[in-house]
Amino acid sequence: MPEGKLCNRKPIETEEELKTLLSDTGGKKYYEEMKSLDVDSGLLWKTIGNTLKSRTKTWLEICAHCGMCADSCFLYLANDCDPKQVPAYKIQSTLGEIVKRKGQVDNEFMHMVMETAWAKCTCCNRCGMYCPHGIDMGVMFSYLRGLCYQQGFVPWELKIGAGMHRVYRAQMDVTDEDFVETFKWMVEENEEDYPGLEVPIDKEGADILYTVNAREVKHYPEDLAEAAILFHLAGENWTVTSTGWEQTSLAMFAGDWAACKMQVESVYEAMERLKPKRMIGTECGHAHRATVVEGPYWAGRSNGKPPVESIHYVEWLAEALREGKLKIDPAKRIKKKVTLQDSCNYVRNHGLKDITREIMSYIVDPGYFIELSPNREHNYCCGGGGGFNGIGLFRPQRNKGLITKRDQIIESGAELVIAPCHNCWDAIRDLEEEYKIGIKWSFLKPIIISMVEIPEHLKPEE
Amino acid sequence: MFKKILFATSATEASDHAARVAFNMAQAYDASICIFHVLGVPTRGFSQIVMDVKTKEKVEIDDEYIAWVKEEIKVYYSKQLEKAKSYNINYDIKVAVGFPHREILREARNYSPDLIVLGGSTGDDEDSVYKKSMVGSTLQRVAKAAPCPLLVVNRPAASFWGGISQIVFGTDFSKASDAAFKFSVNLAKDLDCELHIFHALDISNMHMGRLLTQDEIESQIRESLRRIRGRYIGELKEIKDYSFDVWEGLPYVEIVKYAREKHADLIVMAHHTQKTSNEDARLGSNIEQVIVRAGCPVISINK
Repeated sequence: MPEGKLCNRKPIETEEELKTLLSDTGGKKYYEEMKSLDVDSGLLWKTIGNTLKSRTKTWLEICAHCGMCADSCFLYLANDCDPKQVPAYKIQSTLGEIVKRKGQVDNEFMHMVMETAWAKCTCCNRCGMYCPHGIDMGVMFSYLRGLCYQQGFVPWELKIGAGMHRVYRAQMDVTDEDFVETFKWMVEENEEDYPGLEVPIDKEGADILYTVNAREVKHYPEDLAEAAILFHLAGENWTVTSTGWEQTSLAMFAGDWAACKMQVESVYEAMERLKPKRMIGTECGHAHRATVVEGPYWAGRSNGKPPVESIHYVEWLAEALREGKLKIDPAKRIKKKVTLQDSCNYVRNHGLKDITREIMSYIVDPGYFIELSPNREHNYCCGGGGGFNGIGLFRPQRNKGLITKRDQIIESGAELVIAPCHNCWDAIRDLEEEYKIGIKWSFLKPIIISMVEIPEHLKPEE
Repeated sequence: MFKKILFATSATEASDHAARVAFNMAQAYDASICIFHVLGVPTRGFSQIVMDVKTKEKVEIDDEYIAWVKEEIKVYYSKQLEKAKSYNINYDIKVAVGFPHREILREARNYSPDLIVLGGSTGDDEDSVYKKSMVGSTLQRVAKAAPCPLLVVNRPAASFWGGISQIVFGTDFSKASDAAFKFSVNLAKDLDCELHIFHALDISNMHMGRLLTQDEIESQIRESLRRIRGRYIGELKEIKDYSFDVWEGLPYVEIVKYAREKHADLIVMAHHTQKTSNEDARLGSNIEQVIVRAGCPVISINK
């Protein structure tokens, strides 16, 4: 049977297509069509021939099925040690099978692959640390998602998400005008409390180019205000770009490789146009992975780096606190049991584990900070990474997946969880909503604002 | 004075009293009214699912759902709307998805009303969708950032209203109070009503627990009266009737008592607390306490 009207192998290219797909509430018709979507085995096998390189081939072949990866997977733990949740099994029974069968797989098989790729793996890459051979199932699942996307077997929300990036160069329907206007609005709202507060737009040669997550613009622009206030108080020379401001990439979660490239190139173009000294992204994990860690490769940059030095928000914040650009009022430091959620995407995958703890040392009164166990690069995924949070079809699986994090938090006894990552923040909010364990959660920005000292010359009159 | 009213409603009982005032004002001042309702709070990252504020169910929003909610609102306010029609009042019903305070402020920016009308608290229900992931109430957040005066009706008693003839302006002599004063004067002029200027001398905690002697209190009252004369009275040339008083006590209690004594139809105060996010400030500033307790609508001005 040919492709469906909504569910097909064609990416979303226009606003109209996007709206049509969005109007299919919950993806009902989309998933119905998926049931009769043919697998283009020829294309699949050809793509594998072109893209499945020696590393992945070797990984698939040398897996000794030892099971060392089993306990490393939070989904295995949350699902009562179901053998079908062992990472090695998950990848061998999907990508491994497709390769073995030279792409000759059917619709039913691809449905199983889709569920495995998006509901049984968040690409947190924890298993890769525990495999004696260093096989990283998370990396392979990211690759497998690309194959699924090409064949049209992708969750409804992610087809939309990738389409948003293609149409708006943002993960939500936020236009460049919306972005600039919202940022200005936030400055207006706060300029009385912070005289001289501004948002410099398209300023060339600034020290900092700040990039964001479209959700901040759409639903909680306070986050933009907080970023502006902290740069202002720290006396930074900063700017935002009127186009190419979106740091995130649902295209990465969706496996839409072409859209990944389009999205990240829009940010790199802004860097090249405005020539800032550094780019700083918001408190988001996957955005950092997409734009700073993986993006350069998508964009074909030979040095593997973005056009200008790019750092995560926590790196800037630690630096500002360390150098005294931002000063914390010691009396206002956190005085309740607080823990920290390590975001896989910039802690395990980009080594920023000590930076976040340095921040904690400045903002928490001694004796109140508690580590989760395990932590740092060994920390578990929040339970909602890799797109898991947003997929309606896999909601029950996601809620079950939150259990590992829930128990980790309960065990720590923390009342507040600081989560400098949009995905983690969402997952932790959802786990509180689902399981009601009586915790609070927060990004760093509002916490810093509540305790930062305002320099004398920046105080409002009166 | 009031040509465009933005009535932000939960479309529940909590907003009924505010609705009465909003529609009465629209009728009295020949204003257009925009009935604005935030129907759901986004959940789940980038997903399309929102939590319906009324049913607390997780729903997927589409055009059909929005049309249905609009219809519900129309039915809920059918009496008022019928009356509005008979008086040729322009009205519009709008719904949005998002965090209520933010969407109200967004709509205020978009619609540029002269007045935002807000209902009372929807309750401290732990499950309340309005409280999701945001500390502090919708009221606190809207009051802090509203681009125009914000009128709040919390108690049913505050909504039985036959027009405005007595205005109480409560001041703490701050810069923000100056703006509230200006607004009160214009309003009193425009509506031809009596203006009562009031300051409450806070004797609850300002002297680190030391009890003030009566002489000290009275000397401070005299000082405050001097300040009122110096700061405000010169501006009242066009106001026919006015009075001013300073009482000592717990400021919000004194303001509410004073308003009762003056049969006030409206209290005007400044909102100028910097922090709204602090949970410990749950009981809030004086104005929030006044809003909760007053027997008439309260207008909050922040700039």
